[in-house]
Amino acid sequence: MTAYYHTEIYQHLPSSQSHRRQLRPQDGETSDDSPLMVRDWNPSLPLSALPICMQMKRLTNDLRQQQRHNLGNWKSWSQIQYIKLKRSRDQFYKVASSLFQWRHTLIKIEGRFGMGVKAYFVFLKYLLGLNLILSIIIIGAVLIPTLVYKGNVECLKGICIREKFSVLDIVLGSGVLQNTPLFYGYYECESGEKCMNNSLLFLLGMTCIFVLSLVMVIRRTVIGYKHTWITGSHNNVSISHKIFSGWDFCIQDDSAAMLKHNLIRNELKMDLEDHVFHRRVSQRTLRQWISLYVLRILLNVLVLALLGGSFYMIFVATRYSKEKKKSNVALSQDSWIINLIVGYLPAITITTANYLLPRAFRKISVFEDYSLTVQLNLTLIRSTFLKLASLGIYILFLYKWRKSDNQNGEISFRCECQTPPNSTFPSNNTTEGVQFVMCWENDFGKQMYQLSVFDLLASFINIFFISFPTKWIRERYPLSVLARRLNQQFEITLHVLDLVYSQTVTWMGVFYCPLLTCIATVKLTAVFYMKKFFVLRCCAPAQKMFRTHSSLVLFHFTLLLGLLIAAIHLSVSLGDDVTGIRPSPCGPFSSITVSEVLSKSVGILPDFVQSALRTMNSKAVGLPLIMVEIVILTCFASRGQANNKTIERLKGMLVMCNSDKRFLLKQHSSGM
Amino acid sequence: MGATASQLPKDLLSEYQELTFLTKQEILLAHKRFTELVTREGRTSAVTRVPMEKILTLPELKSNPFRKRICHVFSTSELKDGSLTFEDFLDLLSAFSDSATLEIKSHYAFRIFDFDDDGTLDQGDLEKLVNCLTGDTEDTRLTTEEMRQLISNILEESDIDKDGTVNLSEFQHVISRSPDFVSSFKIVL
Repeated sequence: MTAYYHTEIYQHLPSSQSHRRQLRPQDGETSDDSPLMVRDWNPSLPLSALPICMQMKRLTNDLRQQQRHNLGNWKSWSQIQYIKLKRSRDQFYKVASSLFQWRHTLIKIEGRFGMGVKAYFVFLKYLLGLNLILSIIIIGAVLIPTLVYKGNVECLKGICIREKFSVLDIVLGSGVLQNTPLFYGYYECESGEKCMNNSLLFLLGMTCIFVLSLVMVIRRTVIGYKHTWITGSHNNVSISHKIFSGWDFCIQDDSAAMLKHNLIRNELKMDLEDHVFHRRVSQRTLRQWISLYVLRILLNVLVLALLGGSFYMIFVATRYSKEKKKSNVALSQDSWIINLIVGYLPAITITTANYLLPRAFRKISVFEDYSLTVQLNLTLIRSTFLKLASLGIYILFLYKWRKSDNQNGEISFRCECQTPPNSTFPSNNTTEGVQFVMCWENDFGKQMYQLSVFDLLASFINIFFISFPTKWIRERYPLSVLARRLNQQFEITLHVLDLVYSQTVTWMGVFYCPLLTCIATVKLTAVFYMKKFFVLRCCAPAQKMFRTHSSLVLFHFTLLLGLLIAAIHLSVSLGDDVTGIRPSPCGPFSSITVSEVLSKSVGILPDFVQSALRTMNSKAVGLPLIMVEIVILTCFASRGQANNKTIERLKGMLVMCNSDKRFLLKQHSSGM
Repeated sequence: MGATASQLPKDLLSEYQELTFLTKQEILLAHKRFTELVTREGRTSAVTRVPMEKILTLPELKSNPFRKRICHVFSTSELKDGSLTFEDFLDLLSAFSDSATLEIKSHYAFRIFDFDDDGTLDQGDLEKLVNCLTGDTEDTRLTTEEMRQLISNILEESDIDKDGTVNLSEFQHVISRSPDFVSSFKIVL
C-alpha cells in the first residue's frame, strides 16, 4: 500500500518538501533554500511556539528583526507592543496560578496515579477557588454591613440569650451558634432606611453569588461540552486517541509505567472485545433478547425499589427527628449522645444511602449486559439521581412539615436555651421559661449546616477508620484472603459525586446560613489534605482507565444541575405564595419583604431609569425580544448544520484529491 | 542553586526564556540537572553533548517507552546518536512543558511516533507505537490478529484521505480533538 511513497517523484511534491524542511532544519541550513525555510513561520507566532531547534529559533529571530527594520515604524512598534502585552499577560496568569500552591502535590499524584485522579484534585481545587470567591462576596456584602449596623448590640428584640458554649453545638449548629452570624436570623434589623440598605445588600450579595456561580460553572461545562461535541458520535476517533495520546508522559515510576502498559493493553483488548460484543449483539436470537429485557426490567425495578427505599428511610428519619425535637421534654431527658444522633438522623441516613447505593448500582449494572461505557454512565446517572433527589426529597419533607405546622396555626414559640450544665455531660438541655420566636429559616440553615458538617465527618471517618485500617491489614497480612478482597482503588466518579453533593448543599443553604461558603472553603481544604493522604497512602492505582474529559463534562453538568436545584428552591421559598409558608419574623426580611425591598430600591433611582425599567418589563418589549432570540437560535442551528455538511464535503474532496494523486503517480511511473 | 545560577549568563538566561516556554526557575533547574549529567571535567557550554545513555538515566525519562525516540527527535547531532546539548535539552523540556501549545506538542508527538523518520505514520510505525504502549515483550504484545484489527481500526478513523498512512495534518487533526493529550504529553523536572 505504501509502495508509491518510494517513487522518487513523491519526494518532490510541495507538501512533502515543506514537511521535510520542518523535519530536518539542520540539513536545510546548509542548502540554498534556507531563507525560504526560515520565512515559513507566521510572524505573529512567538518564537517559543515554533517546532524547531534552538539554533533555528535564533536565526528566525534575526530574520524577524531584519523584517521589523524593513517594516514601517508604526507597524514594528505595534508588533513589539503586542508581544510585550502578551508576555505580561502570560506572566500575570503564571503568578495568579502560583498563588494556589499544591502544584507539586498535583504533579506527584499525577505521576503515581495518572491524570484521572489528578483531574479530581483539579476539580476540588476549582471548587475551593469558587467557594473562596463566594466567601469574599458574602463577607464583604453581607457580614460586614450587618456588623457595622448592629454594633455591639447583643440582645435582640429585648431577648437576651445567655448560653453556655459546647462542642456539641459546633457539630449540631444549635445552641449558642443559633445567634451568631452563621445563620439567617442574625441579619435582622428593625425598620428604617438603614435596615433597607442592609436587606438590599443581603439580597444583592446572594444574587451575586448565584449569578457568579452560574457563569463560572456554565463556562466550564461549555468548554468541556465543545470538546465532547466535536469528538462526538458523528466522527468517532476513540481508538486513535487511545493510541496517539495514550501514554501519560508524566509517569516517572517503573511500576507505574508497568501498570500503564497493562492498562493500555487491557483497554485495547477491551475495545477489541467491544467489537466482538457488538457482533454478538447483532447475532442475538429473539429468545435471548426477550430474556435479557426481562432481566433488565427486573433489575431496573430493583434499582427503583432501592431508590424508593432510601427515600422512605429519609422520610422516616426526618419525621422521627422532627417529632423528637417537638417534644422538648423527651429531648431534655436523654443524654447528649442521643441528642446528637437524633439531630443528625436525617444527615446520617442521607449519607449512608449515598455511600451504599452507588456501590450497589455498580454491581447491578454488571448483570445488565451492556457495553462497559454504558455500564459506567448508567451507574453515574443513577448515583447522581440518588444524590440530588435524596437532598431534594429531604428538603421537600422539611417544607411539608413546615406547611402543616403553619396550617395548624401553631405559632411555634419555643426555647432553645440552656442553663449551665449541672451534670458531667457537656451539654444538658433543660427547658426554661425564656421564649423566643422560632425562625424556620434558621432551622433550615441549621439542617444544611448539619449536612455539610456531617459530610466532612463521614469522609474523615471513612478515611481514617475504614480505609486506613484496611490498608494496614493488607500490608500486615498480604497473603490472607481478606487482604485480597480489600483492594482499594480511588473511585473517581464516586468521589467527584461527593464533591458535587457537598457543593449543592452549600448553594442550597447559603441564603439561610450565609457563612456556609466560608465553612465550605475550610472544609474543602481539609478534604484536599485528607484525600491526598488517602490517595497516596491507602490506594492502589486504579485498574480501569478513566477517560477524563467526557466524564468531567458530566461532572460539571451535575454541578450545574445542583446549582439549578438550589436556585429553584430559593426562588420558590422566597415567593411565599407558592409554598404557602409565611416568612418568619426574623432575618433581614422580617420587617420588609423581598419584593418591597426591590420596589423601594427602584424608587430611589432617577426617573428616566425607572421609566426605562418599566418599559423593559412590559409586553411590548418582551415579545419581540423572545422573537429575536428565536431567530438568532435558528440562525446558529442552521449554521451548525451547514458547517457539518461542509466538513463532509471537504472530507470527500480530500479523498478525491488523494486518489487523483495516486492515479497520476501511477501513470507517471508507468510512463517512465 | 545559587552556584549554578551564576554559571548561566544573564543575557543567555533571558534569551532562553524568550525562545522556550520555560520560566526562569525551570531553566535554572534544567541547567542544574544537565550539569549533573555532564562529567566533572567537562564544563557545560552550548556545544557540550551528553550521550543518550546518560540522558536516559534521568528519572523523568527512564520509565518512558519512547525515551530513545525522544532523544533522537530532539538531538541536533550530525551523527544521529541521540546525544543532546543543553539547548536541545531545553527544547525538549519546552515542548513537554505545561505551557507549550497543542500545535507544538502534537508536532513533536508526531515526530516521536514516526519511528522510521519518513514523514508519515505507516503500518510499521503504528505497530511499533502500539508495541511501545502495551510493553514490548513476548507475553505483553498483542497477537497478530489483534494488531491487524487494531491498526485497521486506527486507519479507518484517522486516515482521512484514505491513503493507508497517517500524515502530520491528519495526526494533528485527530490529536486536536483529544482533550487529554495536552495534559498527558508533559514532562516536568
